[in-house]
Amino acid sequence: MTMDVEEVKRRAGPREFSPADDLPEEYRTAATRMLEFHANSEIMGAYLERPFIRQSPSLERKLAFSAKVQDEIGHGQLLYRAAESLGIKTREEMLSDLANGDGKFLNCFHYPMTEWEETPMIAFFVDGAAMRRQATLKQSSWEPYAHAMDKVCFEEGFHVKHGESILAELMNGSRKEQRLTQAAFEEWWPRILQFFGPTDDQSTHHDFAADVGLKTMTNDELRTAFLNSYLPKAETYGLEIPDEPRIRQNDDGTWDVVEDDLDWEEFFSIAKNEYEPGLGQINARKEAQAAVEWVREVLDDREAMAAGGHTGQAAD
Amino acid sequence: MIWEVFRQEAAGDYHAHCGNVHAPDREMALLFAEIQHGRRKPTNSLWVVPQDEVGEVDTDEAVFGGTTDKSYRFAQTYSVEPAAEEVEASEEEQTEAERKRGDL
Repeated sequence: MTMDVEEVKRRAGPREFSPADDLPEEYRTAATRMLEFHANSEIMGAYLERPFIRQSPSLERKLAFSAKVQDEIGHGQLLYRAAESLGIKTREEMLSDLANGDGKFLNCFHYPMTEWEETPMIAFFVDGAAMRRQATLKQSSWEPYAHAMDKVCFEEGFHVKHGESILAELMNGSRKEQRLTQAAFEEWWPRILQFFGPTDDQSTHHDFAADVGLKTMTNDELRTAFLNSYLPKAETYGLEIPDEPRIRQNDDGTWDVVEDDLDWEEFFSIAKNEYEPGLGQINARKEAQAAVEWVREVLDDREAMAAGGHTGQAAD
Repeated sequence: MIWEVFRQEAAGDYHAHCGNVHAPDREMALLFAEIQHGRRKPTNSLWVVPQDEVGEVDTDEAVFGGTTDKSYRFAQTYSVEPAAEEVEASEEEQTEAERKRGDL
């Protein structure tokens, strides 16, 4: 018998629910929304960094970026599997939605990244923010999500430290490198502050996801934890924190971000996939997906042959 | 017919291989698995799989992790202080994996 929402809320705890449980549609829909967003973000992040396999200034960086992009695509696959096991959407549907502009993903991955000095903004700050969030999702009530986070967090430490290593190198490099890195930081900083979304009273999906244990920390708590770890790092490397957007630390260690200093119109147009540069990112991946359509067809044919003894084409 | 048995100790844990049973069909395999593998150690769930259906690749055929130096893949290679506790935890797991592979 299908569990009702009240029972889900009562039982909600770390790794409590698995595909063996008959969960109500509200839970499965909310979990699918979170997982699909997360999976899409892994894929779009990988595409953002892929050009830097070529543009890396050294062989070591090239190897590391290549490994990292491979990891992120793998994380996407893990998460699509964890999402698919909820029975709401198939992996094919989620990938098609991402290609046709219906799939949602992180704000930071809607912005183009062209210069080497920008790479630590994603590879250190955004990945660091993502890892903060992912570490808490090891306690998610959807067991396949928590299990995916075990592997993701195992691998992610390399990503963040590699990103920090690039930042350290650039900020100890030439004056020009330092200047360009500071400029990149100023451009990306407001986007990074928006990573955790608007303050909690404006977040629409949080309450239910928290009540059923899908997530365990609020946007505000995650933003505070991130700032407490990563702001001192930025300062250590000599980055100057821009005066605006204004941020202020309270006596209890939490942080307030002056929301009016951030561009929420841009943020919400990004959230709806209506931001022009972001559409470029979406369409570039769509083309890459179309270019390897033949590979998926070959695999599907092979699967059909193994299952039924004849190919899809022969069935026509 | 042999069935491989995977036991999960508590909800949320991984199913880990714990042995196998002889049984003529799935129903009896589940019953025998319950009796042989689910009684003494804490058990929340068992997976029972026909042995023939388990694919295997081992070190005779594969070089797991490849043959080249992959140190660029690991957090401990980058000499910066971990920015946060979760980064440090990840590095510890990676160092542990390196130790188990015999690379330390």
